[in-house]
Amino acid sequence: MDKPVRIYQCENSPDGILSAVFEAGISGYGHNYIKIQPLDQDSIYNIELFSEYIKVETSAKKAGNVLETIESRISHEAVFFVMSALLSEDGDRGNVIYQFVTYGFTIGQGITKALQLECVARIFEIKRKVHNEAHFYKEFIRFQEVKKVPSVLMAKIEPKNRVLTLVTAHFEDRFNAEYFIIYDKSHKEASFHSADGGCIIRILTEDEEKKLDSLLDVNEKYADLWKIFFNSIAVEERKNYKLQRGNLALHYRKYMTEFMENN
Amino acid sequence: MVFELNAALSDKLHILSAAAKYDVACTSSGVSRKSKKGELGAAEAAGICHSFAADGRCVSLLKILFTNECIFNCKYCINRCSNDVPRTSFTPDEICQLTMEFYRRNYIEGLFLSSGVMQSPDYTMELICDSLRKLRLEYKFNGYVHCKAIPGASPELVEMAGWYADRMSVNLELPTEAGLKELAPNKTRKNILTPMRQIQAGMAESRAILGMKGGNQSSYWYTQKRMGRSLPGSQENLGFVAGTANNRIPAENAGSKQNTHKGINNNIKNKINADNNLNADDSLNINNNIINNTHNTETALSSRDSVLAQWNRSDTSRGFVPAGQSTQMIIGATGESDYQILSVTEALYQKFDLKRVFYSAFVNVNNDSSLIVNDGQPPLHREHRLYQADWLLRYYGFAAGEILSESRPFFNTYLDPKCDWALGHMEYFPVEINTASYNTLLRVPGIGVKSAGRIVNARKTGRLDFNALKKMGVVLKRAIYFITCNGRMMYDFLKVEEDYITRNLVSGETDVVKGFGDSITYKQLTLFDDFQLGKL
Repeated sequence: MDKPVRIYQCENSPDGILSAVFEAGISGYGHNYIKIQPLDQDSIYNIELFSEYIKVETSAKKAGNVLETIESRISHEAVFFVMSALLSEDGDRGNVIYQFVTYGFTIGQGITKALQLECVARIFEIKRKVHNEAHFYKEFIRFQEVKKVPSVLMAKIEPKNRVLTLVTAHFEDRFNAEYFIIYDKSHKEASFHSADGGCIIRILTEDEEKKLDSLLDVNEKYADLWKIFFNSIAVEERKNYKLQRGNLALHYRKYMTEFMENN
Repeated sequence: MVFELNAALSDKLHILSAAAKYDVACTSSGVSRKSKKGELGAAEAAGICHSFAADGRCVSLLKILFTNECIFNCKYCINRCSNDVPRTSFTPDEICQLTMEFYRRNYIEGLFLSSGVMQSPDYTMELICDSLRKLRLEYKFNGYVHCKAIPGASPELVEMAGWYADRMSVNLELPTEAGLKELAPNKTRKNILTPMRQIQAGMAESRAILGMKGGNQSSYWYTQKRMGRSLPGSQENLGFVAGTANNRIPAENAGSKQNTHKGINNNIKNKINADNNLNADDSLNINNNIINNTHNTETALSSRDSVLAQWNRSDTSRGFVPAGQSTQMIIGATGESDYQILSVTEALYQKFDLKRVFYSAFVNVNNDSSLIVNDGQPPLHREHRLYQADWLLRYYGFAAGEILSESRPFFNTYLDPKCDWALGHMEYFPVEINTASYNTLLRVPGIGVKSAGRIVNARKTGRLDFNALKKMGVVLKRAIYFITCNGRMMYDFLKVEEDYITRNLVSGETDVVKGFGDSITYKQLTLFDDFQLGKL
């Protein structure tokens, strides 16, 4: 008779999911019968019949252990894949990571290239989605000077995946001597960078969110100049809105200066 | 002509960006550079497109003219001196401020500075150099800068710009000498190719001194290397040996002032004086005459002299034009064939070591009756096919003669160049996925650079089947006619035959993978033949 499927429920955070991977791994139950389900406080979940449910405590130590094992037994690139998948909001990521890691322990280094395997193709797709979104936000994020002395730049984004760290790292380098804030509205987080190089990320309270929103209400000379530039450079005879929409999806335009009406 | 010298910054920006929009060079890529502590800016090797304009094109740089005043009268240009348009100029400070403030708000990756010719090429080039110097040294901008060289400017100024810019370009404008004479009589082939040659020589030397930091190689270079062919920008092409002990100049001690200064003056000027053949008529012998004539004058460059005068530069760590050079041709203003244009492109990659060649569909802004081809609509489809062919040259290892020829000088309207080639060379197909080499896989329609790389890597872990190919991003709709997996084609009824495949590929609706049947036909159905009523 077939074994009942075991579902490991964990907190919806990178450490939580990795702890579940740890627990599932050491149980030796068989990777075909294991599922990992990250739980969000607000969502409602269907309970499956004939399945065992196991709650996993989040433990940073277990999470670190998993990553170290992946690094030593598979490769550094595999750790990169797993970390990228953890940044996504895909509900299936726990399962995909678990399958990937299990196959990886058997196959070794070549796993990251073995796209013919289902789990590898899936984790590759998740990683690609996360990094593509990070790349898009590096391109489309727009800063405004919300304070003159000292000059403080601020930008707002609304990503589906948790790309705040990736985007911030990009600007930490090129704006290394600027004060800047990047506000991630969908995850209620923001990163704060100071002109001397220090950077922090924190989860925001409601009041803090409101305050940041109010800061963005500025009228800027250079924003207007940018709109003038943007509108001048299109060649009339080659107008192609479909192509523009294909390259620059509508949902990215929400906080882009050149597409915003006021400001 | 209306001069607006004291216009507001917003008006200047409006006029001078609208005037620059026909220069299609759009990339901000090719250089990877971390920021300097305390200074603004860094550069990314892969391109970053900050926005997309209403015509669908990428916006990554602040693309402006320094001035739209011009003493030339090129027939295709909106800024030609006989046009009655408002004329204005930026000041170097205005350009620097715009660049810095736009960069801080993440609107742009950097600056793209071109210009009309004000008073003389040297006068204009000096103003451009001054703006770039300010931007780099006073405002301390470390982002990407693309600078255009004015045809006819003196070599000292071209070199000065090259130390500040990441990329430089000189527009070829028209593919043939005859075309250029007809439409842009003030520009000569010599004035255009000389700075190109100078930049190429300077880049080679910069690489010899600084290694890869001194400048990246082009994708065409890497592809030729992979195919085992002779490399562009190599010794034979340049006529001088870079990197040998003789002409290696240590950065901190640029030799005696006289020697290296002589380098520019003597070598380039000698070359210009000795060169009588650059203006030879060429109509069809593009490869042979025009490009090789500049090549021949390289004999003036001895292997000992350098082309770079570094004595007046304090910081050469960025390298000389590290992101390479590019150029642009107008498509459809004159009557050249696609084969001619593609041959010129190939010659430019091979002999001048360009990074990119851009094509700009001719937009008839002047309604000048003397223009040869005066159609109305910009030839966008033709431009698209040219870019597809350009990619085949740079990434897929094709030669121009494989894609087109004297007897077939124009592209197929319905099929892209790669499919067209595949259908004309069915003897190479079907290709077995599990054993074919990378270069062979690249020739299959539906398999691109990324898919081919993934296939080669995935093969190391196990055999591949069609399902796996689909996961890897192979466009099976096109590829199934050309490949086998483990010896079998995807469907038994697929015929490896030119007409059948062409019909399927050209028609938009047939998707055999989605199951649209095995007998696709477009002939008129008749009761007797097709429904076999005659047999009753």
